[in-house]
Amino acid sequence: MAVRIEKTFQVQEPIDQVWKLLSDPRNVAGCVPGARITEAVDERTFKGSVSVKVGPSVTDYKGEVRFERLDAAAHEMELVGKGQDVKGRGSASMKMTGRLRSLPDGGTEVATVAEVNVIGILAQFGGRMINDVSDVMFGEFTKRFQKRLQESAGAVKPAVAPAAGQDPVAPTPAAPVAVETTAPEQPPAEPVNAAAVFFAALRAAIRRFFHRLLGGSA
Amino acid sequence: MIAKTSPEIGGLGHSVKRKEDLRLIQGKGNFVDDVRLAGMVYGQVVRSPFAHARIRSVNVENALALPGVLAVITGKDLEKAGLAWMPTLFHDRQMVLAVDKVLFQSQEVAFVVAEDRYTAADAAELVEVEYEELPVLVDPHRALDPDSPILREDREEKTNHIFHWEVGDREATDRTFQQAEVRAQVNAIFQRCHPAPLETCGCVADYNTGTGRLTLWLTSQAPHAHRTLFAIVGGIPENNIRVISPDIGGGFGNKVPIYPGYVCAVVASLKLGRPVKWIETRSENLQSTGFARDYHMTAEIAAGRDGRVKALRVKTLADHGAFNAAAQPSKFPAGLFSVCTGSYDFQKAFCEVDGVYTNKAPGGIAYRCSFRVTEAAYLIERAMDVLAQELKADPAELRLKNFIPPDRFPYQSPLGWSYDSGNYAAAMNRALEMAGYQELRKEQAAKRAKGELMGIGISSFTEIVGAGPAHTFDIAGIKMFDSCEIRVHPTGKAIARFGTKSQGQGHETAFGQIVAQELGIPVADITVEEGDTDTAPYGLGTYASRSTPTAGAAGAMAARKIRDKAKKIAAFLLEASEEDLEWEPGRFSVKGVPGKSKTIQEIAFAAYTNIPPGLEAGLEAVHYYDPPNLTFPFGTYICVVDIDKGTGETKVRRFIAVDDCGNIINPMIVDGQIHGGLTEGLGIAFMQLISYDESGNVQGGNFMDYLVPTAMETPHWETDKTCTPSPHHPFGAKGVGESPNVGSPAAFVNAVVDALAHLGVKHIDMPLTPWKVWQILKQKGVVD
Amino acid sequence: MAKTQRVHVKLNGQEREAEIEPRLLLAHFIRDVLGLTGTHLGCDTSNCGACTVILDGRPIKSCTFFAVQADGRELLTIEGMMRDGKLHPLQQGFHEEHGLQCGFCTPGMILSAYALLRGNPSPSEEEIRWGISGNMCRCTGYQNIVKAIQNAAAKMQQEGVAA
Repeated sequence: MAVRIEKTFQVQEPIDQVWKLLSDPRNVAGCVPGARITEAVDERTFKGSVSVKVGPSVTDYKGEVRFERLDAAAHEMELVGKGQDVKGRGSASMKMTGRLRSLPDGGTEVATVAEVNVIGILAQFGGRMINDVSDVMFGEFTKRFQKRLQESAGAVKPAVAPAAGQDPVAPTPAAPVAVETTAPEQPPAEPVNAAAVFFAALRAAIRRFFHRLLGGSA
Repeated sequence: MIAKTSPEIGGLGHSVKRKEDLRLIQGKGNFVDDVRLAGMVYGQVVRSPFAHARIRSVNVENALALPGVLAVITGKDLEKAGLAWMPTLFHDRQMVLAVDKVLFQSQEVAFVVAEDRYTAADAAELVEVEYEELPVLVDPHRALDPDSPILREDREEKTNHIFHWEVGDREATDRTFQQAEVRAQVNAIFQRCHPAPLETCGCVADYNTGTGRLTLWLTSQAPHAHRTLFAIVGGIPENNIRVISPDIGGGFGNKVPIYPGYVCAVVASLKLGRPVKWIETRSENLQSTGFARDYHMTAEIAAGRDGRVKALRVKTLADHGAFNAAAQPSKFPAGLFSVCTGSYDFQKAFCEVDGVYTNKAPGGIAYRCSFRVTEAAYLIERAMDVLAQELKADPAELRLKNFIPPDRFPYQSPLGWSYDSGNYAAAMNRALEMAGYQELRKEQAAKRAKGELMGIGISSFTEIVGAGPAHTFDIAGIKMFDSCEIRVHPTGKAIARFGTKSQGQGHETAFGQIVAQELGIPVADITVEEGDTDTAPYGLGTYASRSTPTAGAAGAMAARKIRDKAKKIAAFLLEASEEDLEWEPGRFSVKGVPGKSKTIQEIAFAAYTNIPPGLEAGLEAVHYYDPPNLTFPFGTYICVVDIDKGTGETKVRRFIAVDDCGNIINPMIVDGQIHGGLTEGLGIAFMQLISYDESGNVQGGNFMDYLVPTAMETPHWETDKTCTPSPHHPFGAKGVGESPNVGSPAAFVNAVVDALAHLGVKHIDMPLTPWKVWQILKQKGVVD
Repeated sequence: MAKTQRVHVKLNGQEREAEIEPRLLLAHFIRDVLGLTGTHLGCDTSNCGACTVILDGRPIKSCTFFAVQADGRELLTIEGMMRDGKLHPLQQGFHEEHGLQCGFCTPGMILSAYALLRGNPSPSEEEIRWGISGNMCRCTGYQNIVKAIQNAAAKMQQEGVAA
């Protein structure tokens, strides 16, 4: 079940600062509700997990995230992720592209497009809600990303220190990065509360329905 | 000639009220999930979320650690006992629990057993399976592409092609097409759907360590066949297995296959020495049990400009899912699909079917299909309408012109069937009369001029049921006879047991009426039993509308054997010779001597108290009936629809159903069957679809998405009958249960296409959802 | 050991109680704990209506209701439909009009009809179809069910009794 989500948002921070944050998967992971990076396989490939909580039961999706493309000059990145439910309940894969554009006021426009494919029980029962659920989760991602951006911009110590040996401005050298099994600065991942996401998505879907019904555009 | 019995006797033709009602209206039925045995535990299946994946590991530790969990069975466990795979009913095998890989979403991977239902559900959540996803194949048209994944690595031939089957005369048919004046073609998909009986499948497997016997309470339409298969596959002596098929909440073909859940429950019970209950949920039922149809068909008709059909050419791609578990007679990979020449006199015909594997649930034969006759009838009835459109002919007249005339029966079809009897024009004319056909056409023309969309659809189907003669028909090797055993008690009451198994068709009443007719014993005095393999004579079960043609016939024959013995006893009691006796239902009288007679009750009493010398005591008989041929019910259905131009919704304004099933046992029951089957046809035509997305996720796997008609969508059904008895059946009956599902989808679709024909529409595939129709209206520029 | 709760219900006029898990569905409570198996389960998404029972006079789907929610309340199931040892007119009507075949939907169907007739003793065919639209039947095509309900309604009107 493939779903395409596009989200564009603006931030005050300059393009290079935004790029630095976006091109470090640990930052990206930190913004995905319920996600954490557990291991760096190489400089572009990372193992991680996403926790989803439905009522009292928590399910872990374990998988891999890889930067397919990191073009610092054009400020474009492409991220591919794939995860499977550890209990064997299903899987999901995602291809996300992010493009940054400098704005005249010095800020940055972040344009992301994600293609998500879901397999399993979620694709059956949740099929009708996948668009809205993905939307809500993505909305949560962009909110957190913006928050992190603000934190790293200000005097507040950034939540994630740049990886050892990485030049903050120039692209990463080809030398392999030391494997870090845990990033101590990463806060423990709160499992994303599926029920809350579901109801948020439902609310959004209903709002949109009535909006359309009463003549508004989607 | 069938003697008319009194209402008290209640023989053939009486609308006797049903005996089975009393317990069912009180909620005192005994369905499998109602069975409660001491020490009973519950099983639940763990299922694959992936359509195609290798299994890397199955971890049952956490599940086993949960208090209340008694066992977790995996594929590897079954493999040790040689039970990881089991034979299907059609020359293939299927996994009971997956060991190396899974082949469809919802496939069975493990089985947990716990003290209660809820703990079993908890435990199922705790089983951890690691999968490695593989590329998925869901499009049957891609199954034979070189770059498509090979699904069945267990088979010697590494291909997704299961079978090629053909019948008829290819060369002669092709030649006729080359010379044809007119050719019409339709590509019609009969979509994958599911019978969805209201009661899901399930069992209670009770292995008693004290007696060494396994009692299997089973949702089974064929208890004896299941017993034999469990014995052979499970290695349990057949005399130590008792299958009890109690009250069944609808079958429709869903309860003919053997499912992994049954096997796991049996294994669990053998292992634990306790009764194990397994009842599947609706989602499991829709996603893993025997689906129906999924036939991708092309029909071509070659005809003369005068409208006379000459040849039929059919090519079909059959999507069987991951295993060929189609439950059909062993010599027929496409069931009885070759009845696709239908009610029409084709001189030449050729039909070929290719079956393929895909990453979907296994099955194919189900949902009142008569072994693929639903697909065949739909195809020919759609093709005839396409031909009518091509010729600008009236669809009713075109059919009347081409019907096999009554004097041509028994009729040899070009695809090898010998139709026993038929009078298609009589049914058609009656239906046209009931519908007021000419008036409807006038109304349609007037409405069309105003831009309103009204359609009239006709379907004149011929069915083929009653499988079947031993020379041609067997299921998994067991010949398709059926049986009846009757015992008359000293006080004149009787018990009759049959090898079939009703799931709502009313055998307890109707089959009693057969015996009542033959012996003149009041139907209220006759107990009918089915479903317990310890007591019922061996039969092949109830599906494909075979019960009345086979077991019903056996009932009549067994009763006649009893009547023969009764005549001897009567002759003895009346001190007359048998030649001087005449029979009327319920008594033998001496010809020409009024008052000198014996009732069947007196004769029964004498059979135990005053036995004629040389005769054995008792009054009973058993008969195993091998039908000489199949039977061919038929009919004409006419459907009138109005399409809403704003929403695309089709309203079925009227539906006329004229059926001919020969002599009828219980008209009330037959009408009930017609109503039910037409409602299923309505669901199929307008609402039902089980589909898979490109990742193999099933869509339509629960009742939110798989729609069943409610009382609101279902129109009023107008029914009538003609009667053309079967010449070879003991009381001229043919069977009727599936006719409405066989004949109606084409009537619905023909009506909708007819409503849009003036816009250039030739065919629309089912389901005709409002969305689908609306898109066509939009395309044609007629949306309101 | 899962935590349990004590539940009291008045079932078909009789006081019943049991110690159960809070997550136990009312349908399972009625069938497995109280032992009345006339109420059936036909789906897992609350669509089919086979599990319909009457709670404090109103029809509910017992598969989508927790037993603990029925604490202190009155339940009527199919087993409670007999009147003075005789079949209820609805039960009689279903029998006379052949309103059942396999019988699996029948208890839920009869109880929905019961609820309908209590509120509307003389419904039109359309009102009947609407009243039972929450109950799926795969066998009958509803035609004889409608007749059965009309039969019962007429009889009860004649005898001047309420549903």
